[in-house]
Parts: sequence; structure tokens; C-alpha cells
Amino acid sequence: MSNNFLNIKSLSVKVDDKLIINNLSLSIGRGEVHAIMGPNGSGKSTLSNVLAGKDGYTIVNGAIDFSGEDLISLEPNERANKGIFLAFQYPVEIPGVTNINFIKTALESNRKYRGLEPIKPGEFLKLIKEKSKILGIPEDRLKRQLNVGFSGGEKKRNEALQLLMLEPSLAILDETDSGLDVDAFKIVADTINSTRNKDNSMLVITHYQRLLERIKPDIVHIFVDGSIVESGGPELANEVESDGYERFGDAK
Amino acid sequence: MQNNLISKNFNHSFLNSESLTEEREKAFLNLKTIGLPNKRVENWKYTDLTSITKGLEFKPGKVDIEILNKDRKGLVVADFEYFIKNKDQYSKPTNYLKDEGVVYLNLSYASDARVIEIRESQSEPIVIKITAKGPGVTFPRLKIDIFPNVEAEVCFVYNGGEGFVNQLTEIHLGKDSGLNLYRVNESSSIHSETFLSYLNLNANLSMVNLSMPKNKSRFQVYNIFLDKHSSTDFKSISIPSNSCHDDFLIQNNHISSNCKSNVGMRAILDKGVICSFQALIDIESNILSSKAEQDCKAILLHKEASMNAKPEMKIFNDDVVCKHGTTIGSLDKDQIFYLKSRGLDKKSSENLLLKGIVKNYIPNNSLLNNFLPKAYQ
Repeated sequence: MSNNFLNIKSLSVKVDDKLIINNLSLSIGRGEVHAIMGPNGSGKSTLSNVLAGKDGYTIVNGAIDFSGEDLISLEPNERANKGIFLAFQYPVEIPGVTNINFIKTALESNRKYRGLEPIKPGEFLKLIKEKSKILGIPEDRLKRQLNVGFSGGEKKRNEALQLLMLEPSLAILDETDSGLDVDAFKIVADTINSTRNKDNSMLVITHYQRLLERIKPDIVHIFVDGSIVESGGPELANEVESDGYERFGDAK
Repeated sequence: MQNNLISKNFNHSFLNSESLTEEREKAFLNLKTIGLPNKRVENWKYTDLTSITKGLEFKPGKVDIEILNKDRKGLVVADFEYFIKNKDQYSKPTNYLKDEGVVYLNLSYASDARVIEIRESQSEPIVIKITAKGPGVTFPRLKIDIFPNVEAEVCFVYNGGEGFVNQLTEIHLGKDSGLNLYRVNESSSIHSETFLSYLNLNANLSMVNLSMPKNKSRFQVYNIFLDKHSSTDFKSISIPSNSCHDDFLIQNNHISSNCKSNVGMRAILDKGVICSFQALIDIESNILSSKAEQDCKAILLHKEASMNAKPEMKIFNDDVVCKHGTTIGSLDKDQIFYLKSRGLDKKSSENLLLKGIVKNYIPNNSLLNNFLPKAYQ
């Protein structure tokens, strides 16, 4: 077995008979940050949804190994409890469920799965207040209904808060930078970047090189028509920023 | 074959019926002409009361009406004697509901009543427990008068019974008054309640209805905006026991200008449950600057659960802001995925979403929170 943490091998995925991911292979090692850049409709979000276990995708070929386990056979909650976290591009609204109650429920579920004792209420409150402060999230937003009436930026900050609280081993950031103003972007990007360590990995999906200036990737992949057409260092992101995707086979 | 309730001749010996004889006989004649509601009556298309009550024996049942803390300052409580002394009040609902069989049925046989005058604002809720005992038919009558400039909270709690309860409830709201009304229905009787509110200038009525019937239930609400700037806000949650039936009808009759009505229903429906939502916004041509909303969301938890929804708007002028929406279906798959992606299993995700639906109407600090099933508290 390789040292890779996540191994995607020859993966092909269809949605309603249309091939979206086409024979994709990708390996991410522990502690590595990989970025995926690609034009709209290239299948980037499909990849993040497939990794998180969303229904509606048919895996026609290939395998995904996560930390030595067959990921495809796991339910989304099992994947989450084993350390996969998807920061959604469009987080859904959950009326009637307060933000703080939801995060506490998620954390408890996660700890229970890992065989840990439930976190004490006072300890939890202290922790979430600390993390919220780092992200510039006011305390009253914790009491609001989950994502209901949140602006695009507030939703993205809230995704980052969940990431901080749940401490996943593989964070998949699906266009986390979209919808954020300049100041919020810096806070969120720098906060996420601060969670990097030798055990945690990240897969950063983005359109913009500016995010990769703050969360510096080890490897950048260019994704076109459901597969990686080129991989390289951060300089690849700079090239995309200045020249677009034309060289990589997309003339849109 | 006629229903037992009206095929018999009017029975003067039927509890206290020697009073208000003229009013009762008039009501009974109307009842005989109109009959009990059945599916051919548009407003009753989802609840065939004639059929439901067909097998019932027409014998008097017992219902206890208990008002907690009735000796409080600013409250005056009367019983049926009130209507004997105020005969004009007895048949008042028929001024607004001329073709409603269940109203005439109640007026024919009503025997137990409570009339509560709330003359001063109340800092604590007034709790009224209506408990049916055993089999038989009962016809309770409630009338609450909120005096001008008075603010109050009232909570109705329905329980018990094996027979048929046909209730008539009226709320009079004086000028600049406000009432927060809570209703909990856990009745095991066949329960039919007709509720009328009369709103005077700048009066406000807010209601949260938690309906968890253990039999067949019909709650029909008629809000009558007698004067300008009055408003109503009704929220109803239906969580019937398995195989039970819950029918909620509400009509907001905007007969004055600058009034506002808001209706929301949430239903969580399990095996064998049939639930209905009928809501009418009625705005006449000379009525200006009305605002009215209605929405309904029903979650079907089982393939044998069903929901009927009939939102209606009768609007005869352009100076209105109205909206309505209805959704019936399963829990949202994207919401379930979102919760699962944070580590909650399917059951926990579904429970949290259902709790969210309930909490949106009955938050933890609501008077009704303690009445909710534990899963939703």
C-alpha cells in the first residue's frame, strides 16, 4: 500500500447517462494540499460530491481508497466521521435548527463514532466562541437558524467554522472563496490555512489563484472534461490566472 | 339513511334544553334543512362528518371545562346562564355562518358553556382544559371577550373522550386589544370545533395550534375583520397519531381595509394519517390595502400517509399584497445530505429536520413546548 491518504484510481462517474468524471486518477498524501482548477462544468463539484457520498451519481468504473478503506461503500456520515469534510459551494438552509445546536450535534456524533466522551457543555461553548472569534462570526449568529437568511459570505464563514470545530483529516473546499468579500476572504483563507499540519490533507477546488496564494498548494491539477489534463506546482495556477484554460483544451 | 343526530325529533329533555327553546328550535330546523356536513359540501370535502358520526348513539356525554386560576384579577367567568340572559349572543355565529350544519347542531343542543371576560391585561396565560369523558355526544361552547386595550394569553387543551365533541368557540377582540392563543388538541374523541374571531379596530390575534389528535379531528376557523388595522397570525402544526385524521380549515374574511392575515401550516404525517389544509383569503372589492399570506408544508413519512391542500384566494381588487404556497412531499434530500456530511446518520438527520420544522413554530420558550412529543422538545 502506498503512503497516500486518498487514492482515486481510474474513476468514471455518470449523472443521468452523461459521463462527468472520466477515468480520473488522483493521489493525495497525508499533510498535502492539492488544488483543482478547471473551467465551469468540468466536473469539479461532482468530484467533491462523490467523495462526500452524495446520492445521484453512478460510479461506472474505478475505486476510491481513503486511509486504507473502500470509500465508495461508506455512507456520507461514515465518511464524515472517518475524517472527510466537504465545505459546500452552496450550503443549504435548515429552518428551525440553530447553528450552535447543529454544530454540537455534529461534534457529538463525530466524537461518539471515535469512541470519545461527549464534550462538556461549558467546554463546547468556550471552544465554539473561540473559533467564531477567529473567523469574525458574531455570537448571535450561532443562535440563528442554520444558514437561514445568511449572506453568501456568512454561509462560507460558517462552513469554515464547522471545519475548525470538526477538525477533519481531509477537507474538501468546494469554491469556498466564492461569495466572500476581500476582508472575509482573507480571514477565511488564512484560518483554513492555519489548520494545516502533517496529518491533515486538503483538496481545494477553486477558480482563482488568489485563494492559492493564501492556502499554498503542493500540487495544482487542471481539470477539463472530467479528468486531470495536467498537474504541476503553484506556477500552474498563475498560468491559468493569466492565460485561462485554452491551452488545456477548453476554449470557453 | 339520516344520521342519528338529526333523525330524532328535537328532544327537550336533553340536558338543560328547556332554556333558549326558541333559539334551539330555530337552529334545529336549520340543521334539519342543511344536514350534517358531508363530502358534497365543498368545505367538508375531506371530512365526511355524516359518515363519521353515523354509528354514534345519540346520548349525552360528559365534558369538563376547567379554567385554571379563574379567580384572577380582571377576569369574569360565567357559565350557560350568560346566554340565557343574553339571548342575542346565543345565535350570533349564524350571522356569519349561515350554512354551517355543525354550528346549528351545537346551537340545538349546547348545554355547557363558559364565557370569560378579560377586562384587564394578564401577565400569566389563562389555561382552559376541555376534557371529554367516555362515550356520548357533547356540545361545549366557549366565548372569550377581550376588552379594549387589553393584552392576554389563553391556552386551550383538549383531551379524552370516546364519543363526539362538537364545539363552538368565539373570540371577541375589542379595540386595540391583543390575544396570544395556544391550542393543544390531543382529543381521543371525534372532535369538531368551529372557531370564530371578531376583530375590532387595531386588534390582533395570534394563534399557535398544536394538533395531535388520537381520532378524527376538524378545526375550522373563521376570522372576521370587523374594523380596520386588525390582524391575525395563525400557525398550525399537525402531528396526528397513526391512522388518525386531522382537518384544518381557515378563512380570513377581509371585510375591512388595512387588515393583515397570515396562515401557516406544518404537518408531519405517519402511517395511515390523512391531513387536510384548506385556507381562504377573501377580500371584497371595496376593501383596500390588505395583506394576506398562507403557506403549507407537509412531510409524508410513510407511503400510507396523505395530505390534501386547497389554498384559495378570492380577491376582487388590486390594492392587496397576497401570497401563498404549498409543498407536500418527503424531507429534502439536499438537507439530509448536508447533515449526513457532518456525521449525523440518516435517522438522526431526519429527526433533526423534523424537529426544525416544529421548532420553527414552537420554539423552546413557547408555552406549547412541554406538550410536544419528546423527540420534538
